[in-house]
Amino acid sequence: MSILADKNTRVLVQGITGTQASFHIKRSMEGGTQVVAGVSPRHGGEEHLGVPVFNTIYEAKRQLSFDASVMFVPANGVKSAVREAVEAEIPLVVSIAQGVPVHDMLEIKSMLNGSKTLMVGPNTPGLITPNEARLGIFPENIHKKGSVGIISRSSTLTYEAVLETDAASMGQSTVVGLGDDMIIGSDFRVMLKLFMEDENTDTVVLIGKADNAYELQAAEYYASLENKKPVIAFVAGEALPYNNYTMGYAADIITHGRITVGDKKRIMCESGMIVADDMSEIHKMLKELHS
Amino acid sequence: MNIHEYQAKKVLAQYGINVPKGGIAYTPTEAKRVAQHISSRGPWMLKAQIQSGARASGHFISHDAGGKGGIRQVTQISNISYETAQMLNNTLVTEQTDEKGKVVNKVYVEVYKEVKKMFYAGIIIDSSIPSITLLISDVINEDVVRLAHFGKESLLRLNLKYDSGITDEQIYKILDFLSLDKEYLRSFHDFLGKLLFTFINLDAQMIEINPVGIGEDKKLVALDAKITFDDNALFRHPDILKMKDESEEGERFLKASRCGFQYQEFSGTVGCIVNGGSLALEAMDIVKFKGSELACSLNVKGGVDKDKVASGIKIIMTNPRVEGIFINILGGFLRCNLIADGILTATQDVGVSIPIVVRFEGTNKDEAIAILEQSNLPIYFAQTPNEAIDILLKQMEIND
Repeated sequence: MSILADKNTRVLVQGITGTQASFHIKRSMEGGTQVVAGVSPRHGGEEHLGVPVFNTIYEAKRQLSFDASVMFVPANGVKSAVREAVEAEIPLVVSIAQGVPVHDMLEIKSMLNGSKTLMVGPNTPGLITPNEARLGIFPENIHKKGSVGIISRSSTLTYEAVLETDAASMGQSTVVGLGDDMIIGSDFRVMLKLFMEDENTDTVVLIGKADNAYELQAAEYYASLENKKPVIAFVAGEALPYNNYTMGYAADIITHGRITVGDKKRIMCESGMIVADDMSEIHKMLKELHS
Repeated sequence: MNIHEYQAKKVLAQYGINVPKGGIAYTPTEAKRVAQHISSRGPWMLKAQIQSGARASGHFISHDAGGKGGIRQVTQISNISYETAQMLNNTLVTEQTDEKGKVVNKVYVEVYKEVKKMFYAGIIIDSSIPSITLLISDVINEDVVRLAHFGKESLLRLNLKYDSGITDEQIYKILDFLSLDKEYLRSFHDFLGKLLFTFINLDAQMIEINPVGIGEDKKLVALDAKITFDDNALFRHPDILKMKDESEEGERFLKASRCGFQYQEFSGTVGCIVNGGSLALEAMDIVKFKGSELACSLNVKGGVDKDKVASGIKIIMTNPRVEGIFINILGGFLRCNLIADGILTATQDVGVSIPIVVRFEGTNKDEAIAILEQSNLPIYFAQTPNEAIDILLKQMEIND
């Protein structure tokens, strides 16, 4: 029905007792997400939102099993939260936190390497399979069940992409926000592969942006596929001045040569993706593909 | 966060990296005193401390500055005060500053160091691997971005392991690349190893030594230094945070960063408030496509405090260049009604004389629209960013 999470996914919440966590987890549960327990240091033994709270994942795992963990822990706690989840071999973790230090992400990436855990985020709205599982902070009122898979490297443009699928009356199979940061847990390739194999996804919408080189990896992977489902791609930031150093450009330029949004679009187009110049074209493209 | 060259050199010296003797001066007399203190016969280097590269090839706006750049070699002690006076309180324009340049209010006085060879060394993070990457080049005194344009042959890239550091094999590669003998192994290992340790220990995003000098004694010395720190990790480095030079940042940037928001300025007339960096990019693209340009953008992502949101919005509202405001909020974590409350507070404080177009979507959208509708403020609503910018540009034309 979807990728990564559906109505049978048993969800743990790390940092469940916080205000933001409570607000969003309550909404997720009302929408059908199967939240089975929470973890919050010094709150072990309590009950919150109708589920048991444990001090550590280790304790929680002795009584229950989980398929995924949603982390509502602050940025400076993400590294240890991921370590705990990796040690407990939780297959999927989603980190919402904004502002995780980049060196922490380097360490996290080496923890994830070779582990049984797949990480989505940080700095992401999370992932949602409409009407089944909401692992994050998506505004669920805009989501409709359907056949379009969405992968986005921009939190807020994810919502725009969702609205485009709605406008095309197609809805979404699963929506994954990869995260806005320079280093992210999972990139486009992982998600593209899952969507290509998912029988309920017939089209993928991919939203990229100006900095970093993740879109090029996605294009390279897509070009290598023999059987591929159509991918509609958009890359934000065409008008961004090239000398704008504040958007974290310098490092990418030096490691990969100068890659403009135009270059990304061209390479994605050559890989066989359908490239939109404006996000508002996406619903028309979707309609055309399925007419 | 960036720091000045003199601060970066102090940091490097703390980590055991060899830097020329030097001191900071705020007045010509002070410069002379520092010069006498660090060397009895010179020559000396006078280096304007603004946070920009390409200072040597830059120029001062005022003619009193003697027509020379922001980095000067001085051989006579009697000329130190005079040359320093030419630079102080003058505006230096370089390739990396905008045309307004930056005012020099301090000069770093340093012993001139004779070296037999120079090269470029940089440490950055390559996000796509991801890995810490060491960059070495024979081309010196060039901007890091321009360096990439010289082609692959001019730049050696080595990925460094987070825990195991630089290997001998990698050092040999570097020596070979720079056409140097194997006898330099130890001094390169020492210098680059300490540089990597500094990079990791201080959560740096980039360290550039442009150039590194190789002395007659075969030791390496950092002749220039630039360090960029990860803003998200500064909570771990209070000593580094203290080095922040607020005069390097404009008032609006400072106000925004105090609220925890990102603010950017461009050359147009449309102000934009969004929650998410990519929404700003999207707005920039659409506005440009429709023939106008952004003046500034404020990213209020993650905002949960109404007063901070209001002060953020005021930064945009009180920017004299802004002739119209586009607000695009896709509520998720951030709830739309919080932004609506912020808009109300901000307009009550500063008044509205320019058109504002709002597009809300997502969490608490209806509440937010209701709040603004009840306020009777002259605010327009739109369903999509495209529609919003059409309305805004039209209203801005009427307002003219």
